[in-house]
Amino acid sequence: MTAAAAALPDRYRPDFAGFAADRREPDAIARLRRKAFTRFETLGLPTRQQEDWRLTDLSGLQQWNLQPPTIVPVDAGALPTLDLPAHRLAFVNGRYAPGLSQLREMPDQALIASIGQALLTHPELIVPYLDRLPGLEQHPFAALNTAFWEDGALVYLPPGTVVETPIHLIFHATGSDMAVYPRLLLALDEGAQATVIVEYQGAGRYLNAPVTEARLGDDAVLHYHKIQQESPAAFHFGGIRLQQGRNSEAYVHLLSFGGLVARTDLEALLDGEGANCTLNGLTLARDQQFSDVHVRVDHAQPHGSSQQVFKSVLDGKARTVFDGMIHVRPHAQKTDARQVSRNLLLSRQAQANSNPRLEILADDVKCGHGSTTGFLNPDAEFYLRARGISASRARAMLVHAFANDSLNQIRLTPLRERLAHLLAAGLALDFMETE
Amino acid sequence: MLEIRNLHATVEGREILNGIDLIVRPGEVHAIMGPNGSGKSTLANVIAGREGYIVTEGEITFDGKNLLEMAPETRACEGLFLAFQYPVEIPGVANLYFLKAAVNAVRKYRGEPSVDAMDFWELIHQRMDLVKMDESMLKRSVNEGFSGGEKKRNEVFQMAVLQPRFAVMDETDSGLDIDALKVVADGVNALRSPERGFLVITHYQRLLDYIVPDQVHVLFNGRIVRSGGKELALELEEQGYALYNEEPGRARRAAA
Repeated sequence: MTAAAAALPDRYRPDFAGFAADRREPDAIARLRRKAFTRFETLGLPTRQQEDWRLTDLSGLQQWNLQPPTIVPVDAGALPTLDLPAHRLAFVNGRYAPGLSQLREMPDQALIASIGQALLTHPELIVPYLDRLPGLEQHPFAALNTAFWEDGALVYLPPGTVVETPIHLIFHATGSDMAVYPRLLLALDEGAQATVIVEYQGAGRYLNAPVTEARLGDDAVLHYHKIQQESPAAFHFGGIRLQQGRNSEAYVHLLSFGGLVARTDLEALLDGEGANCTLNGLTLARDQQFSDVHVRVDHAQPHGSSQQVFKSVLDGKARTVFDGMIHVRPHAQKTDARQVSRNLLLSRQAQANSNPRLEILADDVKCGHGSTTGFLNPDAEFYLRARGISASRARAMLVHAFANDSLNQIRLTPLRERLAHLLAAGLALDFMETE
Repeated sequence: MLEIRNLHATVEGREILNGIDLIVRPGEVHAIMGPNGSGKSTLANVIAGREGYIVTEGEITFDGKNLLEMAPETRACEGLFLAFQYPVEIPGVANLYFLKAAVNAVRKYRGEPSVDAMDFWELIHQRMDLVKMDESMLKRSVNEGFSGGEKKRNEVFQMAVLQPRFAVMDETDSGLDIDALKVVADGVNALRSPERGFLVITHYQRLLDYIVPDQVHVLFNGRIVRSGGKELALELEEQGYALYNEEPGRARRAAA
């Protein structure tokens, strides 16, 4: 443990003791928390000497004196809506806000609920599964989350349950020098299907370190959207663990627009034959923003497939990182795994880092990866302007063209349109209605 | 309508245009011919306002307005059109969407409301027939994967939709077989009108068999060294640019 790594946990030690003492919950959960906190103490806060955190600047965070969140009233108008009928769970500063939530009729035995409440009513759906998926063992913020989580969402779908209505989970944070640790547990049993939209947003200077665990049984289908629009002063470190059964399908959209420093670590384990994992990432970073995606797709069984397309649009002095690993185990023959990383620089001061990696231990596989980084094509910009289109609109059209196929993969139309507008607004671009 | 006076221009510090004088009146078609490197495309790009083409002396007015002070999009909105020698491929921007954006940009500039969807659709289809363009090209990304001929037809199609008052055709004939050339020429001829002017830049006389110019100018070393009627083009075809240190047209025909 380095000196820098040791510095922060001391601030948490008293917090953790107090935090843990107050809780009434199953012993197994308390043990999990203690174990995770011990792990965090061992890991410490990441430093730039660690390869995996080499490009992530945490110096800002280390100045903070992180406090537990307080309860604040939030107006419903501050929260996004899907403009579609949805199961809606809202959380403010990590705690369930029933007044801002709306649950609709659910299929028999399915459960969409606050995980804090569900722990009291349905511990059997949580205790055996929480923190059981592999991955993120070395991730200090994931360890902090397991130690300190207070609430979040549980989605449990029994075999064959198809929930057509989107499940909208909103995490709003507001405060100063505060840390929140939302926890999401998604369990789709055999053949179950769900569409989940998770939005992170807020106001002020805070740390948000959510962890999502998603288990897909055989033939299950999950459409998962993570929309990160944290406040411009916030730090966001999100962890996602995904485990997929035979012939299951996961469509994961990672849209990252906000935060001062934002990072998502995703680990997908394709643990059943013929599982498919599609990852669609779109990052917008501007001004002084830093935005990072670390992905590891682990093909453990034969006939699996994975497609990753990660795009970043950078402006100002922004920096982005894409670190993507495709790991194919010796047994995972006939794997088809693709990865593409594309970066569009709108400013000379912006910097995009791409680190695609392959570890292939099977011999009969199709794997490929590619990475491109470039500026807007000045010839294309001139071509549009020479037809009367203003410079700002020409740039908007070209950025939109770059991002469009990522957005088009989002099937919920109002959400897709809202994201297109967010992208435009974020770049102060002159978008016009599309037809 | 277009008046060029004593135009000098540099590209990357090299002087390419050395004092061009040219007046095109409404309804006229002027051809600019000349060997490679004589400054033909530089002239087209200066008129359209491309970055990197620096005017060091002289002026261009368009209906009395100082063209050189205008941004490229303003020139287009004022009614100027450049048919590109090398149309740019723009993946992800559908041709139809692009055209509508262009039409509406011009309308907005004129203080007109956005084009009515049905009117636009009719205009598009009428103009597509003019250049024998397939409807599938509307949905494709601008010029992406288009053949050389399709790209040039797309230029003429855009011109037909935007209906500029003055068009500069920058080697629109290059790389076209005779059938494509005829389609392009028919498109241009259909747009000829007493109000509209054209500047047709070409290396070859061939195009001028189909787009018959009112005047032909020979550009050499950044200057117009000769001007005459349409017969000047034929003369150049016979003699080539030999007078101007360039191989005769016979060699070009053989090469083509």
